[in-house]
Amino acid sequence: MSSIVAHGIAARLPDGFEGRIFVRPRALGATYPVAQFGTFPLPDDIGDFGSGAVTLMGPDDVFATLFEYGPESVGTALFARQGRPPAFSPDDFSPIVLRRGLVGQSGTQWFFTEAGRPFSFYAVLGSHQRRELLVPRVNTLVTSFALIPVTPVTPGARPQWN
Amino acid sequence: MTVPLRAPGPDGYWVEPEEGGDVIALVVVSTFVVLVFSILVTGLLRSHADILRSLHELGVGVGDPIPAGDQGSLASPAPVTLGPTAAGAPALGPAPTVAGVTPAGDARAIAVGNGDHLTLLGFLSSGCATCAPFWEALQAPRSLELPGGTRVVIVTKGQDREAPGEVQARATGHVPVVMSTDAWVDYQVPGSPFFVLVDGTTGHKVGQGVASTVGQLAELVRRAEHDRTPGRTQRRPQPATLGGPAREAAADDVLRGAGILPGDPSLYPRTLEDVFPSGPAAPEAPGIVNGRSVRTKS
Repeated sequence: MSSIVAHGIAARLPDGFEGRIFVRPRALGATYPVAQFGTFPLPDDIGDFGSGAVTLMGPDDVFATLFEYGPESVGTALFARQGRPPAFSPDDFSPIVLRRGLVGQSGTQWFFTEAGRPFSFYAVLGSHQRRELLVPRVNTLVTSFALIPVTPVTPGARPQWN
Repeated sequence: MTVPLRAPGPDGYWVEPEEGGDVIALVVVSTFVVLVFSILVTGLLRSHADILRSLHELGVGVGDPIPAGDQGSLASPAPVTLGPTAAGAPALGPAPTVAGVTPAGDARAIAVGNGDHLTLLGFLSSGCATCAPFWEALQAPRSLELPGGTRVVIVTKGQDREAPGEVQARATGHVPVVMSTDAWVDYQVPGSPFFVLVDGTTGHKVGQGVASTVGQLAELVRRAEHDRTPGRTQRRPQPATLGGPAREAAADDVLRGAGILPGDPSLYPRTLEDVFPSGPAAPEAPGIVNGRSVRTKS
């Protein structure tokens, strides 16, 4: 079992999963951490929610992304839920939740706040018909990562000349 | 004033001075010199033996018998062991996930046993002159003409042993570059450049070693792919390899085959009803919060 840590997100990857935790270049505007996980080879140049990756999934594959939003989202109704969902059931997955509808696949998306940070967790199953087998893999993944509170940088804490 | 070399004795006779002290000094110096040279020669012989042993472990031991039919390899005396293991030979063992950081400081983990493709791990260093051509070639896998679906990953030592800036300067972004000293330890990499070929179907290493030229490396990967069990079925769709005009033409062919010709109204939807004629309203797309986009790429 491998571990990866970056940008306040740590994950102990379950067997068969690979992943990455990154922040897009600031040239794109305000950017926040994104963590992506998959049971298949993840190309480097894919969209935050898996465009360019979900088309490569087989029926036994799982893709998930943990997407952080800006601090202005904390306290809004969408992120009112405290903490990630403890576990998903097969009924939580639906073909119409997919960011890009692909025949046979299904997905789920949840918004929540944890460690004072607003997140969305979006997962895709390679086969909706096989969700009974695939959802436990998603549940294992969800419990594998830790979210570290981000300490706001106050002006006094910054290094400065006296 | 000149000092006489000889002088008369007290009895008035000239006598020869004693030479025993000079001889002893000469013997001592000679012995010391011989001793020093012996130590030097012993050290050189030991160093030479170490080099020979290392070469032997890499598969090009001096004086090793050349296998019959392999005379051609004399032209390229490279230490080559990359390739599938012979039948009956001990397996090279499972290939662990490569986890580390990218030169940009992001985290990256590459699982090498999660597909039916080959993964070529290239263990390179930023300061190794021999690695330079491999840095360039491995980041252009198509020019290498590797078997379709072969995944190439470059692994350098971690940030404690490599300067991220130098690695970043060599990375083009076309293939994953992972900085991980742990991976070098896990794969028992003796030095760079070093290559490991993993069969994703089994998650086991099918070959490892070094190659002196890029062409030699590509040929060994092709041979390994050829030697894999034939009749394998692919579990996943392969990444599209078309780009530009070829991709556009392929898309046109698919649309034409589905009866969608240029000017078809379905190509120019104006409302959601055009896209979902009888379905429910499309859910809010991920990345949209309170009706506004918060991320540029999805």
